Amino acid sequence: MAEDVPLIPREDVESYARARLAEGYDYFVYCAAAHYPASDTGVDRVLVEYRVRRLPKDMLAFRVEVPTGETTPSLVGVWAGADWQEREQYDLVGVVFAGHPDLRRIMLPEDWEGHPLRRDYAIETRHPPWR
Amino acid sequence: MNPWLAGALWGLVVVTGAMIVAAWSTWFERKFAGAMQNRPGPTEVGPVGLLQPIADLLKLLQKADIIPRTADPVLFNVAAPLGLILVLATLAVVPWAPGLVPADLDIGVLFALSISSLMVVPVFMAGWGSNNKYALLGGMRAIAQAVSFEVPLLLAALVPIILTGSFRISDIIAAQADGHWFALWPPGPGALAFVLFFLCSLAEANRIPFDIPEAESELVAGITTEYTGMKFGLLYLAEYMHTLVSSIMAAALFLGGWDGPGPDGPHWLLIKSLLLFAGIFWVRWSFLRFRGDQLMNLAWKKGIPLGLAVVMASALWVHFT
Amino acid sequence: MAVIDPHINIDDYEPEGDLVVLNLGPQHPSTHGVLRVKLWLDGEVCIKAVPYLGYLHRGVEKLCEKLTYVMVTPIIDKNDYLAPITNEWAINNSFEQLLGVTPPPRSQYLRTICAEIQRVASHLLWLGTFGLDMGGALGGGATLFMHTFRERETVLDLFEALTGARFHYNTLCVGGNRHDIPAGWDVLVRQTLGVIASRIDEYESMVHENAIFLARTVGVGVVDPVLARALGVSGPNLRASGVDWDLRRDAPYGAYGDVQIKVPVRTEGDCFARYLVRVEEMRESIRIALQLLDGVPEGPICALKPVKLPGAVKIKPGIGYASIETPRGELGSWVIADGTERPYRCKIRPPSLHTVALLPYLAPGNNLSDIVVVLGSLDPVLGEVDR
Repeated sequence: MAEDVPLIPREDVESYARARLAEGYDYFVYCAAAHYPASDTGVDRVLVEYRVRRLPKDMLAFRVEVPTGETTPSLVGVWAGADWQEREQYDLVGVVFAGHPDLRRIMLPEDWEGHPLRRDYAIETRHPPWR
Repeated sequence: MNPWLAGALWGLVVVTGAMIVAAWSTWFERKFAGAMQNRPGPTEVGPVGLLQPIADLLKLLQKADIIPRTADPVLFNVAAPLGLILVLATLAVVPWAPGLVPADLDIGVLFALSISSLMVVPVFMAGWGSNNKYALLGGMRAIAQAVSFEVPLLLAALVPIILTGSFRISDIIAAQADGHWFALWPPGPGALAFVLFFLCSLAEANRIPFDIPEAESELVAGITTEYTGMKFGLLYLAEYMHTLVSSIMAAALFLGGWDGPGPDGPHWLLIKSLLLFAGIFWVRWSFLRFRGDQLMNLAWKKGIPLGLAVVMASALWVHFT
Repeated sequence: MAVIDPHINIDDYEPEGDLVVLNLGPQHPSTHGVLRVKLWLDGEVCIKAVPYLGYLHRGVEKLCEKLTYVMVTPIIDKNDYLAPITNEWAINNSFEQLLGVTPPPRSQYLRTICAEIQRVASHLLWLGTFGLDMGGALGGGATLFMHTFRERETVLDLFEALTGARFHYNTLCVGGNRHDIPAGWDVLVRQTLGVIASRIDEYESMVHENAIFLARTVGVGVVDPVLARALGVSGPNLRASGVDWDLRRDAPYGAYGDVQIKVPVRTEGDCFARYLVRVEEMRESIRIALQLLDGVPEGPICALKPVKLPGAVKIKPGIGYASIETPRGELGSWVIADGTERPYRCKIRPPSLHTVALLPYLAPGNNLSDIVVVLGSLDPVLGEVDR
């Protein structure tokens, strides 16, 4: 089952999301992100996917590409559920959501260095800080 | 006999007896709860687990005695023994048979009730002295609860006093001789007052469903959160004894005390109070817990009007008979 | 009860007395795991609640990237530790979808039956711990707890007979199941579920008309359906708020297409409604499981050849999402495959995370005692929240 997921330019995401909300997509499923290093496609970037539902049957997803070092608008204002999900993706993948009211780490301790789910995150260290 | 020597002997007998009863009622309660919950309860120590209270005691005695660095050492240390002393003091005025009473005070009921309401002091000392937020919340809840339930408790206790015309507990029991128990006679107010007294003493002793001061799902262990070892044991024992003493008072004031079929004597008071005590276990292991404000509603909106009504009714009864 | 803005800046609040900051958890008897909630209390009334997660964060998503598709299942098992089979199913669902493999019908039936009896076990545990929240470990709550655990044990016995493990079965694999139904298992299931069905009536008579239970739950912690949808709350918590949505019926997977499913819905949205929905769901699960048990088709239980080598399954590049309805709601996995034997990225969408996100909205204005009951009624599993 190949799903057709549109890739939305970053500057249009918020208006796109609001339009979807107006169409009745008011159930927030998740916000997920994956890091692609430059060696893959030439651009060091993060792919962010949002998924929402119009209960009971319809489901819709859209993606945003965020080059490393830049931000993408937060969708907390559209779906309240994006709050913790975006915090989690910030925490683990390191994607920065501009305009998020409370962008803190959620899973890892406040003083953690790096974002573990990034491909450039070293996990082999056998000495402190053992990350 | 020298009054000091008599007091010491009475104290020895009554306190030892009460301690033994309380210790083995923990065994009974655990067996009882086990039966309610499809499990055997204590089985390992002694035959059918009968030596379990001794094992518990030894375990508590061996535990490290930890005093939190930020706690108030005086309040923290005094609270536990004080609670037990206060509760045991109530036993001084309980008459076990005609003439068989440690101190036959002419204000026996008032003495017992005032001691029982003093119990809130060690509880709050423990809550405040621990310097722990959970303990503090537990202590505050205990005060609110004790102050509220004091009033209906007193009103209910007034009923046997009015019917007898005396504050002396042995007079009250004597007036119930030959089956004229106040819980049965006069029909209306006596029974209601008995139920009210019993419920309020449950609340005074912080038993489920009124155990919000140590609601462990909210307050971890309430006032006992910071206590370890034997100090915890003493607090626990004080609460247990409070329940036992409440049962004895209810049996004396409403269920005829030493009166019963066959020869009268201390055994009847003991049997009645232990039956009430077992009833408390039954309630404890069947019911959920009230919320604080619901408890206050119960005391102020239901308990006090009911208490006033039974007092009026018993006064009218005395007036017209 | 006064409505208090959940996003209030605590410095702007004028307390009647002194504000008390109380850390509920991470070691606390009633947080059902290691959730820490920072509460600002004015007296005993909560002004603001901020949950702190991550005390059980094990880096499952990172582990998934480092393990092959076959090795992921036993790791994922530990997420929702009250309903392990659903974790396995959710992740393998995504893998199978990306791989383009459909498990054979016998496997589908077996998975569905397992998920339904697991739902019964999970809800039984919830009912017992909900009693503990209100009645305490040394009270009537413990009595309810012991009784529900007795039945839950019999359900775990069924899984033991099927997979050899009482918990964390590792029985599903990409393309099907590992363990076929042993002889006589269906008789055992019928017996057990028959007993449980009668016991559920017993529990209902224990709590349903209990005045204290009603006083503690009716009207407490009302969840607004609009807020719940925006937050992504799912499962019984959403259905108790009047949203009639169940993935088992609305997007059938497994063998759910072959059975009639009645979805219990309540409109009140309070703790009591959540209790009613869960009890009704237990009955419905028993009905579904018995119905499916009659028609388990013969045939293989795995679409792929039995996997001997961990690297035997490779998935061509693609991104997919698949979700199932667990006892707690929609559990999905977003998987990126890159053609190797390991997932490139694997994100779990746990229902409990979204449920816990309700707490800052439900807690303000409530008594401390009620917060415990509300949290208990939401039935979060922290293993799944933190992953």
